[in-house]
Amino acid sequence: MKTSILEERQKSIGAGGAGRGLSCDQDSVSGSVSQRACVYCGARVVLNPITDAFHIVHGPIGCASYTWDIRGSLTSGSELYRNSFSTDLQERDVVFGGAKKLAAAIEEIVADYAPKLIFVYATCIVGVIGDDVDAVCRDAERRFGIRCIPVKSPGFSGNKSFGYKMACNAIMELILPHRLSEEAYQKEATGVNILGDYNLAGEMWIIENYLREIGVPVHATVTGDASYESLISAPRAALNIVQCAGSMIYLAGRMEEELGVPYERVSFFGVEDTTDSLLRVARRVGGPDAEDRARAFCARRAREIRPVVEAYRPHLEGKRAAIYVGGGFKAISLIRQFQSMGMEPVVVGTQTGRPEDYEVIRSLVGQECVVLDDANPAELETFMKLKGADILVGGVKERPLAYKLGVAFCDHNHERRHALAGFEGVVNFTKEIHDSINSPVWRAIA
Amino acid sequence: MKNFVNLNVNPCKMCMPMGSITAFYGVSKCMTILHGSQGCATYIRRHMATHFNEPIDVASSSLTEEGAVFGGEKNLIKGLDNLIKLYDPEVIGISTTCLAETIGEDTEGIVARYREARPDLRARIVTVQSAGYAGTQFEGFFRTLRALVEQTEQDATPNGRVNIVTGQISPADTRWLKGFVAAHGIDAIFLPDLSENLDGGHAEVYERLPSGGTPIADVAKMAGARATVELCTFYDEAYSPGAFLNNHFGVPLFRAALPTSLKDVDALAGILVGLGGRQNAAPTTNAKSNVGAACSRPPDAVNRARLRRLDAMVDSHKQNAQARAAVFGEPDFVYATCRLLVENGAMPVVAATGSVCPDFREKLAEVIAEVQGFHLGENPFIADDCDFTQIETAALEQRANVLIGSSDGRRISEKTGIPLVRCAFPIHDHVGGQRVRTLGYEGGLMLLDQVTNAVISGVETTFREELKGRYYHPSDSDHDASSASKVLSFSGQARESSKPRETALQAGDPVKGHPCFCGCEGARAARIHLPVAAGCNIQCGYCVRKYDCVNESRPGVTSGVLTPEAALARYLAARETIENLNVVGIAGPGDALASPAATLETLRLVREADKDVLFCLSTNGLALPEHIDALAALGLTHLTVTVNAVDPKIGARIYQHVDYRGMRLEGEAGAAALLANKFAGLARAKALGMQIKVNTVLLPGVNDAHVPEIMRAVKETGCVLSNIMPMIPVEGSALAHLGKADLAEVDRLRALCEADLPQMRHCAHCRADAAGPLGHDVPLPSALAEGKAS
Repeated sequence: MKTSILEERQKSIGAGGAGRGLSCDQDSVSGSVSQRACVYCGARVVLNPITDAFHIVHGPIGCASYTWDIRGSLTSGSELYRNSFSTDLQERDVVFGGAKKLAAAIEEIVADYAPKLIFVYATCIVGVIGDDVDAVCRDAERRFGIRCIPVKSPGFSGNKSFGYKMACNAIMELILPHRLSEEAYQKEATGVNILGDYNLAGEMWIIENYLREIGVPVHATVTGDASYESLISAPRAALNIVQCAGSMIYLAGRMEEELGVPYERVSFFGVEDTTDSLLRVARRVGGPDAEDRARAFCARRAREIRPVVEAYRPHLEGKRAAIYVGGGFKAISLIRQFQSMGMEPVVVGTQTGRPEDYEVIRSLVGQECVVLDDANPAELETFMKLKGADILVGGVKERPLAYKLGVAFCDHNHERRHALAGFEGVVNFTKEIHDSINSPVWRAIA
Repeated sequence: MKNFVNLNVNPCKMCMPMGSITAFYGVSKCMTILHGSQGCATYIRRHMATHFNEPIDVASSSLTEEGAVFGGEKNLIKGLDNLIKLYDPEVIGISTTCLAETIGEDTEGIVARYREARPDLRARIVTVQSAGYAGTQFEGFFRTLRALVEQTEQDATPNGRVNIVTGQISPADTRWLKGFVAAHGIDAIFLPDLSENLDGGHAEVYERLPSGGTPIADVAKMAGARATVELCTFYDEAYSPGAFLNNHFGVPLFRAALPTSLKDVDALAGILVGLGGRQNAAPTTNAKSNVGAACSRPPDAVNRARLRRLDAMVDSHKQNAQARAAVFGEPDFVYATCRLLVENGAMPVVAATGSVCPDFREKLAEVIAEVQGFHLGENPFIADDCDFTQIETAALEQRANVLIGSSDGRRISEKTGIPLVRCAFPIHDHVGGQRVRTLGYEGGLMLLDQVTNAVISGVETTFREELKGRYYHPSDSDHDASSASKVLSFSGQARESSKPRETALQAGDPVKGHPCFCGCEGARAARIHLPVAAGCNIQCGYCVRKYDCVNESRPGVTSGVLTPEAALARYLAARETIENLNVVGIAGPGDALASPAATLETLRLVREADKDVLFCLSTNGLALPEHIDALAALGLTHLTVTVNAVDPKIGARIYQHVDYRGMRLEGEAGAAALLANKFAGLARAKALGMQIKVNTVLLPGVNDAHVPEIMRAVKETGCVLSNIMPMIPVEGSALAHLGKADLAEVDRLRALCEADLPQMRHCAHCRADAAGPLGHDVPLPSALAEGKAS
């Protein structure tokens, strides 16, 4: 007889309201069919949007093949990041080592492209065969006067969020040499860096537009539409604003400690979060009337979209939503957005949420809501059915499951072609939820 | 992007576990676990889910640091226990990954101990060694089929059935194949059977583990079949299920290509007819003799489909003769598709696979040879172990007009404007991957129709303008601006750019608007070079073609050659972001007039969209007399010709050869031909009122003393500006040993020549795809934006 919930998974499943802490940020349970990827994936998705870097995957072809141009991150500059570079290790390399091949590959790139920045991702087998990637990178930096930064991301060395951390370390390695003296920082620091937005469907640009509107300059965008030059300006920012905390809070912490740049968490999903975030940023780093400008700007934009959102509302009120996304910040924003639309979150889960994320999630949802970490298809199936979810918000892998169960779906993945952030995003999101949940096709299969 | 030796750039292959999982999906109630780290399973699930639009569940033993060091037995056992609890499978596939193989896991030993410890285990376990670095999805797929047959206890009692073994074909093609075989009255065992599990219906109750596919009980009967038909061209005996059944159980083995082309569907039908009506006797292994000895003919419905196919082939044969296809993907797919193309008179100009496949070149060359005579000596690019960078380069060089393969080709399509027919795994950006049809009389035709239509669309959307550009030559008296505006007034597409443009243009001073011709005053003016001209017609001693270098200076470098349509899109996108974009130039990466069609078409398209922008062209001058009038008709106002010598003796030391009208001229003969054409072209350009600049590459010890003479000669032709540039020594070039002239010498010569001709001192040695003000190239918007802009 089939079970739906493995015993070892029980501790990662809870409900809304108070109660014992949820087990999270642990290794996935073997055989449970986790939806998570690996350390390498975590590192790759964070760094890949850096547009003018050579991203070399040191490993067998699969790792590069499955992540080629994986995100819908847009660029205003170089297209380089949309290529997939792999040392394509073969059996002989596994036996004799791949470091030489890597060094030769870097040399080839340097000979023809005068790169400023190379990232070298170490994958599973590199971790096992013991290629000294650090030494190869150091050597390349010394010989060619470029930045060549190793990303220590063997798949088995932890879970996906460990990969985020490795990416953050790589970024730190890039920007540390550009640190300002304390005195210079006090005198010169202005504006913000935007951390944890990946410019999916141009969302970084939307946020930058808003900040420009309220008079806050932006230095580095980390990492959506980032370039070498923009990244090394990061130490000049008076404030880091952190959207996707799961991937970037570690970098924000390190930058605060080592560069003295404080941070503020923000979210640009939903009218409330966007407004609240802009007001806080304006207060902290805007000029004297920045806050008033921000308030007026948000009020105007909210007013503009209200008629559209209100038109959809009667069609969405009372519907039940399931959420299964990558990180905690996204889940939290989605809960707020659904609640403001009059919808009820009935299942909320994430792949890599942290304890504090789950605390917030549980405080926001009702006691009937199932909250779960690192769920698998069997659990999603079980709870969506049990709770009568009308729609699932998730990524590519979850979509066919929802459809098979007759549940609508919202693509909140990194391949999407429409912006979900900011005021523009609220309209897109509302419309997408409606387009799926109220589609006539459900009548055909009912 | 250039082709690298130590790097795969944009892979045209996936790894073995991908193929392994796909093959296991063709077995009923089978759950797969990847022995390795968590990511492998997730990536493959994502890849398959977007293509098939089905839930893809694959377990992972989720190896951690501890497992990598001390072995993964504990993880694998726990994984097996858990997946059994969740899925209750009848078959469990264990595919290893790079990690498991590298740490040397004894997977079979672990499984033996597992079986022993769980005597009530219901599921059968099949293990496959599928390290990602040891092969591609193609090999992983067949290894898994072989493992399934080998590791299932076989019942060799004759059962009168026929084994049909295939590579990864779509669920829809599998359904066709099943029907086709059944129509021949044959009871078959399909390995695998992807028809349902990867393209299921919408059932009332969701089956977590789909029950379609071949029952393992049927796999156990394959040794008792009266024959195996393996639809595979590039097989490896060691991993062929048919070879195993043949060697161990004497099951006769037939092999045929994937039945896409008419002749390959016929061949399969022949085998089936041969097997039909002989239910009790094993046929001989010679398929040909069976075709003749068939006691039953193909069924009527099959025959009617075949006749329709013949009819359709005739209907579209002339369009198909226009097709120049670049086919890429798994070796069997490329083979079958090229067979389809050649029998329809289409030219496969590129046949490439990412797999390492030793027979590939030879077999494909044989296939394509059939149509080479018809196409009067084309020379296709055929290669295994290819990445998409190589495929892109080859497609451009071979002037492909259609790409055929997976959606991974979309980036090339986006960049070059060559349409892509998506018909192989993976298809990420369109729906219907699971329903793709390429097999059978109808399926092969559906593919052919798509190719034909792609070619037709290519012609239909461009022929009016192309033919007008080629044949519509207004009389000489119309040659000034009016002829350009006539071309323009025809089109309604011209629109204003959102970026302001310097008013000097409107004031009618063409010099001021061009950043090269107007020195400091032009600092704000921007230009864009559109890299559309790939080839070159001369070999300069300072240029190494493998670096893409052009005739002169070290420009030449470009990140990719564009089709005229893509070039237009790039210009339109650039116009939105670059202020004062006054000039469109063609400067290579080869010689602008060695590919006159691409150059003229590009200028025509741009002119149609923008009546004001200045045109500029840089050439060695060899082909100038032939094209100067056409260029003037398009409104070209600025011309740069490289003149490195006006004495053929000196020229002979600079130019290794000159390719002129089908002849390769060397030494002084070549230099003289080049020189004569340069000056004939320059004279005509002057008569047409063009602004002329002459570039001279300073070659120490070769032409430095000769430079003043060059200046005097070109001044007489009406040249208004001279640009003396020190040679950039390129390693491997014949003149690299000369070294770079020192700047003092360059300055001295410029000062000396200033009396004859104004000297340009702000040259930025631009790339062939530069854009922006001189020395301030701006990055162009993404290829996506380019696509949209058109």
